[in-house]
Order: sequence, then C-alpha cells, then structure tokens
Amino acid sequence: MASRVFEETMLPHLDAAFNYARWLTRNDADAEDVVQDACVRAMRFFSSRRDGDARAWLFAIVRNTWYSRVSRRASVAEATRLETKRDERPDEALDPEARLLQQHAVAKVHAALEQLPSDFREVIVLREIEGLSYKEIAAVVCVPIGTVMSRLARARERLLALLKTAPLEMTS
Amino acid sequence: MTCEAVELDLDPYVDRELEPAAAAAVRDHLDGCSACRQRVAEREMLGRLVRSAPYYTAPDRLRARVMTPVARSRSLHRVVTWAAAAVLVVAAGGGVLIMRSERAQRGTAVDDVVSGHVRSLMAEHLFDVRSTDQHTVKPWFLGKLDFAPPVVDLAAVGFPLVGGRLDYVGGQPAAALVYQRQKHTINVFVSPSSDRQGGALDAQSLRGFHVRHWVRDGMSFWAVSDLNDRELTEFARALQTS
Repeated sequence: MASRVFEETMLPHLDAAFNYARWLTRNDADAEDVVQDACVRAMRFFSSRRDGDARAWLFAIVRNTWYSRVSRRASVAEATRLETKRDERPDEALDPEARLLQQHAVAKVHAALEQLPSDFREVIVLREIEGLSYKEIAAVVCVPIGTVMSRLARARERLLALLKTAPLEMTS
Repeated sequence: MTCEAVELDLDPYVDRELEPAAAAAVRDHLDGCSACRQRVAEREMLGRLVRSAPYYTAPDRLRARVMTPVARSRSLHRVVTWAAAAVLVVAAGGGVLIMRSERAQRGTAVDDVVSGHVRSLMAEHLFDVRSTDQHTVKPWFLGKLDFAPPVVDLAAVGFPLVGGRLDYVGGQPAAALVYQRQKHTINVFVSPSSDRQGGALDAQSLRGFHVRHWVRDGMSFWAVSDLNDRELTEFARALQTS
C-alpha cells in the first residue's frame, strides 16, 4: 500500500526529477544514478513526508543526494571548484566562443547555462524550466527567498554576459 | 523611481513575484526608461531561450528500475481496467448520471481529477483528439457527451490548447481539455453542474499537484497541473473570463 501511494505520488514527477538531476550533474549516467538513489531515499522517508508539494520535495531529495555524492567524490569536487574559479574569470570562459558562434541561440543558452556554477544553474532550471515560485525554490535549495531572488538576478546577469561574448541570433 | 531603485525589482517583476503595487511602480518606471525596458526584454528573451532547450526526460530503464515489479504489472492492469471502464461509461450513458449528486462531493472530485491527470500522463493517453484548433476540438465532443463543453484556445495569453479526450469526474463523463504551459500539462475537466454558485475560484493541492475549481454557466471546471500556484491561478482566471 505504501509503495502504491509512493508511486502514484512520485512517479509522475520522475521526468522533472531527472531533468533537474541532469542539469546538476551534467551527464546522463550520473543523473540516472542520482535519481535512482533519490527515489530509494524518498521511498524510505515517504511516510514522514509532510503533505505538501511532492515535486518540490523530490527535488530537494535529488539535490541532497547529488551533493552528498559530490562531497564523497574528490574529483567531482575538484571539477566544481575549477568551474567556479573559471566562472570568476569570464575571459577564460571564452574558449568555446568560436564553437558557440556557429550554433543556434538555444544551444548557446544551453551551453552558457552549463557553464554557470551549480548554485546559479539550479535556480535558473527550477524557475525557468520547472516554473517553481521563489517560495518553492527556497524550500528546495534551503535558502531564504531573498537569496533565491538575488541568485536568480546574478545568474541571469552572468548568462547574459556569457551570451554577449557569443552574439545571439534573435531569429529563434 | 530611479534605475538603481528599480534594479532589484526587475527579476521579481519578470518572474511576476512582486506585489501589485510594486509591480505597478516598476511598470511606471519602464514607461519612461528604455534602458530598463531593454533589461526586462533581455531577461524575458533569456527565459524563452532556456525553456526552448531540450527537456531531459527520464530514460525508460530508470523508470523501470524505480518502479517495483508489482507496480509495473498493476499499471498495465490499470490501463486495461481503465479501457473497460471507459467502455462501460459510454455504454451506460445516462445510468451513470444517477450517481452524480452523491458522488460529486468535493473531496472525491479533487482526488478524481488529480488521479485523472496523473493517469493521462502515465498511460500516455493524453489525447483522443490532438489539435490546437478549438474549432476541431469542440465538435469532436459532439455525440460523445450529453453536453457541449466550452472550448477556447488561450495561446494568446501563453496557454495553448493542445487537444482533448473523454474522461470522467465523480463517475460522470467529462470533457478533458489539455493545455500546455512550457513543459507543463494542464488538464481541464469540464462537466455539467447542478451547483448554481458563481465564479468563485477554489484552490487546493493534492499529491504535489495544484487544483483550481469553479462553476460557470452550469458547468463545473477543474484545472489540474504541476504548474506553480500562481501561474495556474493566472490560467484559471484567463479561462474564467474567456
């Protein structure tokens, strides 16, 4: 019975969980592993869940699962640190510029989003793709609403700056 | 207001998170400031581009691993039961109507419409008629229901109609109209109502889905989606006043 309720509540959000995990991990295999682990955790804690937004709850578990894996894996942690460092020096992020120039506007945004540090990347994904409100994002990411607001603003500034280094084709 | 004063409000303005008074103040400023208008336009364009990026859907093997074997066989069973039930509803026609008054209690109906929404997504039976043209969708229901559901496209306000199907709510046949907002599906269940109440909008949430209910011109409307609360209210208001 518990598992029936679990599946009816959680499975409809599996795509959303995977999409979020895929943006966090930036590769399919890790995203699959994270979501599978997250579902196991979700199943375990399902009965203690307060009745609320099941999708946001699953996002929060996906996020915790990913971060606990990252902290266990030095190589990933290193990659994250490098990425943050690179992001602080946007000039060096111009490397893929030539490639970006040849691509479609959507592909450019996609790439720019992948270059953002994960703190910024996830608020953009949760807001623009998943359509969560500031309040819902705050609950998933465990920060105050004001922080969500400023992260979104800074994330957009960075995305726009990255895109301006690779001019946008406005046609699409 | 100066540009500096407006700056912090631009993102929440674009995200429609500002209180009405604050949003009005930003609009006033935008009327007279092309630089800030440009910043808003850039943010809106950025949002559109991000939403156009491919959505990563869960691979089937992940779905299979997450679902228990019991659930897999049951979901097949559910589809079969559903098909049988659909045949019964069509065959029994008026007979089902007798159950209407007692079965149409709110709580049951909320559960029904959320289950109907989930089923439509899981069984991938979202459409019986797939069309963005209200003049194709509306006549499709003729002869399949004993009422004519109002069908309007809301593409102009960002909620395009994408199709419809037969479903039921509280044991009575209903028209299910399917709308899309970015990657989110909105199911609207429409069926006759004996309730004479006006256009008051009733908001609920169940199992992570948001639900809006209202009655208009003798029809009961249930809008269900995983879309956020605010945008679903916006959708419901647009449909109410269409």
